Amino acid sequence: MLSDIQSREIKEVIETCPEVGNILEEYGIGCVPCSVGSCYLSDVVGIHNLDPQTEATLMYRIEKAMYPDRDIPEPKVDLTKKVAPKEINYSPAVRNLVEEHVLIKRMLALIPAITDYVDSSDGVDKELIMGCVDFIRGYADKFHHMKEEDILFKYVDELGEIIQVMYKDHDTGRNHVRQAVEGAESGNKAQIREHLFGYKELLTQHIKKEDEILYPWIDRQLTDKQVGELFQKCSAADASVGEELPRRYEKFIIDLEEKFLKEVSK
Amino acid sequence: MSDCCPGSKTMDFSEKTDQGDSETGKRPSQLRQWPIQLHLVSPQAPYYQEKDVMLVADCVPFALGDFHKDFLKGKSLAIACPKLDSEQEIYVEKIKSLIDDAKINTLTVQIMQVPCCSGLVQVAKAGADKATRKIPLKQVVVGLEGDILSEDWI
Repeated sequence: MLSDIQSREIKEVIETCPEVGNILEEYGIGCVPCSVGSCYLSDVVGIHNLDPQTEATLMYRIEKAMYPDRDIPEPKVDLTKKVAPKEINYSPAVRNLVEEHVLIKRMLALIPAITDYVDSSDGVDKELIMGCVDFIRGYADKFHHMKEEDILFKYVDELGEIIQVMYKDHDTGRNHVRQAVEGAESGNKAQIREHLFGYKELLTQHIKKEDEILYPWIDRQLTDKQVGELFQKCSAADASVGEELPRRYEKFIIDLEEKFLKEVSK
Repeated sequence: MSDCCPGSKTMDFSEKTDQGDSETGKRPSQLRQWPIQLHLVSPQAPYYQEKDVMLVADCVPFALGDFHKDFLKGKSLAIACPKLDSEQEIYVEKIKSLIDDAKINTLTVQIMQVPCCSGLVQVAKAGADKATRKIPLKQVVVGLEGDILSEDWI
């Protein structure tokens, strides 16, 4: 029975049958590298909002991979029926969060050039590293992640595994930042590189998951009334820090880009 | 009338349209206010205060079989026709007042797919742009045979 697979944790399912991980990858569901993997298979598939035909085929293939001897009827798929690609339409507050990701991704893109610069310098430019840490803590974490944790995630089951994975990512990111600060203070270049790169890889995947999967999933559950409330709460949170803070951090990124992207193009 | 304008082009889908199962029993109205025409309503009316408001093109409820159940329920309403109504600058001011004075929570503009109907979205956007408060604005486009063609936050 399919239901016995659906209510199993995804990590356990993939460990039992690695082929399931490959099948999920084919459908753009990247659970294999997840460090937690405690989401139920049914939630993992459901959150991606696949069209019914695609989902039926995916579940058939998973069940067949796990139980090759089982007599499973192949789902009737009308291949002539084309499914229009879904364009993500975020609610306004969520759209603002997606736009904030853009500035964070610009910081992430600079990390290789910054760590190369640190490695090739005589000492460690502590001011530079602490400036990046200030951006990560002040903009990415306090300004952006706090709106997710204090406002957005309250609209769904916060104890659900999917949100818990996001919390864990935030905590892992904070740990990378702490380690990078330690590296800057002790002049340990390898430690700076390891943890800034660790942060880059973590946040790149984290942002992709949020933009493409989590945010649309949350948006689909919100009523119009909740969309309005969420917008006002996020606007109030933005107003509480003032317009100057995001502008200051954007200027910080522009200045870094001017310095390091010019270095790269030389 | 000329067939050139999609808004007034004569079309008959009496045979094509699925009539659905015959219904029995009464379906209650979800309307909780009067008046509803945008020239007649006052943004100060209690039924607008901090509510989710629908700004609906006149033709929409006739096309949309489940308008009351699927859209009007729990919402406050104003209706208008962007093609035929006059003095639409008053509409812009009323939208502004609904946002700033009545402090409405969201505004959903529901229009028909015909090109002239998009004028109602422009009216709503103009009012929202003039308002000091910002709120989420949604556009719902209804097909001539009552299907939902799109539903997007704009």
